[in-house]
Amino acid sequence: MAGLALGAVEARAQAQEDIVLGGSIPLTGVFAFAGVGIHAGIQDYLKIVNDAGGIKGRKIKYVAEDTGYKVDASVAAFNKITSQNKVTLYYGDSTGFAKTINPELERKGTMIMAGASFASELNDPKKFPLQFLPGPDYTEMFGILMRHIAKEKPGASIALVYSDTEFGRDPIAPGEKLATELGLKVVEKIVTPPGSVDVSTEVLKLRRARPDYTIFHGYVLAPIPEFIQQAKQMGMQSRFMGTFWSMDNSMVQQMGEAADGFMGVMPYRYYYDKEGTSPMLDRIRQMRPEYQSTAYMQGFLTAMLMTESVKRTLDAGKELTGANMKASLNTIKDFDTGGIIGVPISIPGNSLPVGRIYRFDAKQKQMLPASDWIQLGK
Amino acid sequence: MRIGTFKLSYAADEALFDTRVQWVWLALLAASLVLFPFVAGPYWIYMACLVAINVASATGLNILTGYTGLVSLGQAAFMGVGAYTVAVLETRVGTPFFINLLVAGGMTAAVGVVFGIPSLRVKGLYLAIATIAASMILHFLFAHWDLTGGTRGLSMPPASLFGIALDQPHKLYWLVIPVTALMVLGAANLFRTRVGRAFIAIRDRDISAEVLGIPLLQTKLMSFALSSFYAGVAGGMWAYFFRVVTPESFPLINSIFYLAAIIVGGMGTILGGILGATFMTLVPEVLKLVVGWLTPWIPDALSLLAPIRTIVFGALIVGFLIFEPQGLAEIWQRIRRFFHLWPFKT
Amino acid sequence: MDWLYVTEVALAGLGAGALYALTGVAFVLIYKATRVVNLAIGEILMLGGYVFFGLVAGAGLSIWAAIPLTILAGAALGAVVERALIRPMLGESPISVFMVTIGLGSILAGVVELGWGADPLRLPEFIPNTPIFLGEAYLAPKVAYGALVAALLIAGAVIALRFSRGGVALRATARDQGAAYSMGIDVGRVFSLSWMAACATAAGAGVIVGAIGGISPTMGIFGLSVLVVVIVGGLDSVAGALVGGLLIGLVEALAGSFLGGEYKLLATFSLLILILMVRPYGIFGTHEIERL
Repeated sequence: MAGLALGAVEARAQAQEDIVLGGSIPLTGVFAFAGVGIHAGIQDYLKIVNDAGGIKGRKIKYVAEDTGYKVDASVAAFNKITSQNKVTLYYGDSTGFAKTINPELERKGTMIMAGASFASELNDPKKFPLQFLPGPDYTEMFGILMRHIAKEKPGASIALVYSDTEFGRDPIAPGEKLATELGLKVVEKIVTPPGSVDVSTEVLKLRRARPDYTIFHGYVLAPIPEFIQQAKQMGMQSRFMGTFWSMDNSMVQQMGEAADGFMGVMPYRYYYDKEGTSPMLDRIRQMRPEYQSTAYMQGFLTAMLMTESVKRTLDAGKELTGANMKASLNTIKDFDTGGIIGVPISIPGNSLPVGRIYRFDAKQKQMLPASDWIQLGK
Repeated sequence: MRIGTFKLSYAADEALFDTRVQWVWLALLAASLVLFPFVAGPYWIYMACLVAINVASATGLNILTGYTGLVSLGQAAFMGVGAYTVAVLETRVGTPFFINLLVAGGMTAAVGVVFGIPSLRVKGLYLAIATIAASMILHFLFAHWDLTGGTRGLSMPPASLFGIALDQPHKLYWLVIPVTALMVLGAANLFRTRVGRAFIAIRDRDISAEVLGIPLLQTKLMSFALSSFYAGVAGGMWAYFFRVVTPESFPLINSIFYLAAIIVGGMGTILGGILGATFMTLVPEVLKLVVGWLTPWIPDALSLLAPIRTIVFGALIVGFLIFEPQGLAEIWQRIRRFFHLWPFKT
Repeated sequence: MDWLYVTEVALAGLGAGALYALTGVAFVLIYKATRVVNLAIGEILMLGGYVFFGLVAGAGLSIWAAIPLTILAGAALGAVVERALIRPMLGESPISVFMVTIGLGSILAGVVELGWGADPLRLPEFIPNTPIFLGEAYLAPKVAYGALVAALLIAGAVIALRFSRGGVALRATARDQGAAYSMGIDVGRVFSLSWMAACATAAGAGVIVGAIGGISPTMGIFGLSVLVVVIVGGLDSVAGALVGGLLIGLVEALAGSFLGGEYKLLATFSLLILILMVRPYGIFGTHEIERL
């Protein structure tokens, strides 16, 4: 209580200026399913913070615009929001946007940014000093998956199925290298053109390769179910895995029969995960009685990490510049996320290289943990 | 009120702007364009640059489609060629921006000529479909060629002029607006020359034009080259504006956008290209504004924005084609006529 | 060379090609009767998939009731579109009409997104799931049954075109509108009928395509491949649509499996350019002679 009161006094001494979190959010378009979740997640966390009095008495205001997942619309939203508000934190919607806006971010130097992209390219503090990823980058996701595979079945053969987009191609080359390091064999790489629906020829190719594991990347849903279904019809024994954006429970449920046994990497815990004490998950369940997507968790955690870095910067009595906030963010060590992530986290660089393998259980219709938390670099 | 103009020479008759009133309006327009960045906020300057880039590209397409009668659905892909040329030059060679823009235009013109070759054999719809094929093939190149950075695309530094980095819309404004103005003026003047008139002759009836001694092949390819040059320069400016070029920056839907812009604006008039591109760029913004107002009543109005935008886009194309085939330029003419004849005709 | 693999790929390609052919036939029907290149065919197909989804998942109808209703809805849409958008454009340049259909496509895509959202959806499973082996070669059951249905529908269309009154009227109109009119054929009705038949076919194709790969507001892109099919086959030839559909399906499958998925569209569109340069009016299309 004393601390709170003190904070209030200090805040009055400072200008009672709101801290602004701006966002280019894909509320519509092909990525809408994620955008809607992210939007709600950010709002909910900020509500928790603001209801508790904000950061040192300063409230956090969330200003978002829809982008339809188009880079030019995102840039337009950024320009509009930053010209009308004094923005300290920003949420971007795509890799393209993160790259486009980066020079501008550095020039302004007044904010830090995270977003819906886990592109490996962004995980470089030298090139992207004011950005961070609220999870492992795509290559690190592959790393987590492959470590799990190497442990479960040493020397296993893997097929990579990915879409012919920037998103899809992102972790392929480093992923292959990693596989060799871990003693795994990449026996087939299958590219699908974006928007393709009929995958029968690709499945034939996959069947010839006879992989022990098949990793899908660069999709949200289609054509994963069709792939798995046809592969199973042909009697393939491969296990099927996905990365973050194809791992939401409601999406996997949509796969129907194909969902059974589908596995993948997820840095956050699911909405329904009641294991252990997790005050933040309890809070979420209390605020929103119905299931919330993994994108929601992503938005929620991003807002949490952003506010934490603002808090640490203000606590140190420093000015809220991009560099100071990023430095504060990097001081986060063994930080408790209140159960959003199952282990204490640290952010040494631009990403949060931690995750866990989940597997879909057809009986409970839920993704359930299939491994311990895997932390890369430890 | 104005009844007519009295001309004493052919030169006066051929002049682009034939009355003093027009010159006054033009001067006013120029002055307001110069003053604009000093009064408008960053968002509006950003929009102004975007509009100008689209005007440049739409004007280019208007040369090909509106004046020569060759329909192209490859304009966005051609812009991509220009944008990639600029990005490659800027990151690998480091030549100054005006050279880059010119090279981008030239390069795109060359590509345009190559893909214009089917126009010898086919025309009309078949040509439109050939240009779809062209844009698919260009897309494949953008996404799978090492030089263009594959699916990741290229990021590039800002243009610089006398050591000043043009990294902000309000600085780039001084690059984009003059270049676009020059290009639009150039296009307007083009149709006072032999080449420009030949384009129009081909549009109206190509076989008759050939009989009149216009070399069809050469002239059509010239039109492709010019139109692509415009697309290339516009694409180059686009690259300087966004400073990242990816294969997904120039989808087929953008080509449809430019075609829609000149349909809505009015095919075969310079004014049409300007009005159409401005209108089509601003409509989504206006929709966004309207949806923003509706939010208190319809909580998820924001999520309706994209489908409504798609519907409005289609409805504008269909509506203008059915009800106002001459486009906004015709509406503009009607308004002008009304004021010219005002006290007499009401 | 693994011949079994080649056979399987070829079979899968031909199966996909049958759906291209079916949609191509819908396209040709419209072009034959009204000389309209309908670029919205992909979106009409998409709408068919969504209507089916809405009837089954939303209204809770059984699948066998939903399919005929979807086809009826397609026909109704065709009638409305022809009356409201295409008839007023009679006599305008083909390019203008072509642009109208592009606009229509955009409207339909927007309507679908407004009604069902942008996320991809999956149709309820109704195609038998037991794998099919032709000798040694595996054929995905959905593709096989889809192709079978497509073949039946195409056969139906060809027979109707050949022998039914409406079919004869349509062919007469395609040959010479003036002559057909003076022989007492109601040309306006033929226009209307051709759009209804074509949109109904496309909606039916949409159900099959959706059952194979799921539905999404972007599945109209299927129409682009169909465009290649009809250009290669010849805009006004049903036989052309058949051969073109199978050919494009085959080319896509072979390019996809031996060069890589990213080469699919490149292969088909390169083929398109080639055909346009060598035989601009398609393999079976009619070469129109222009007079001053």
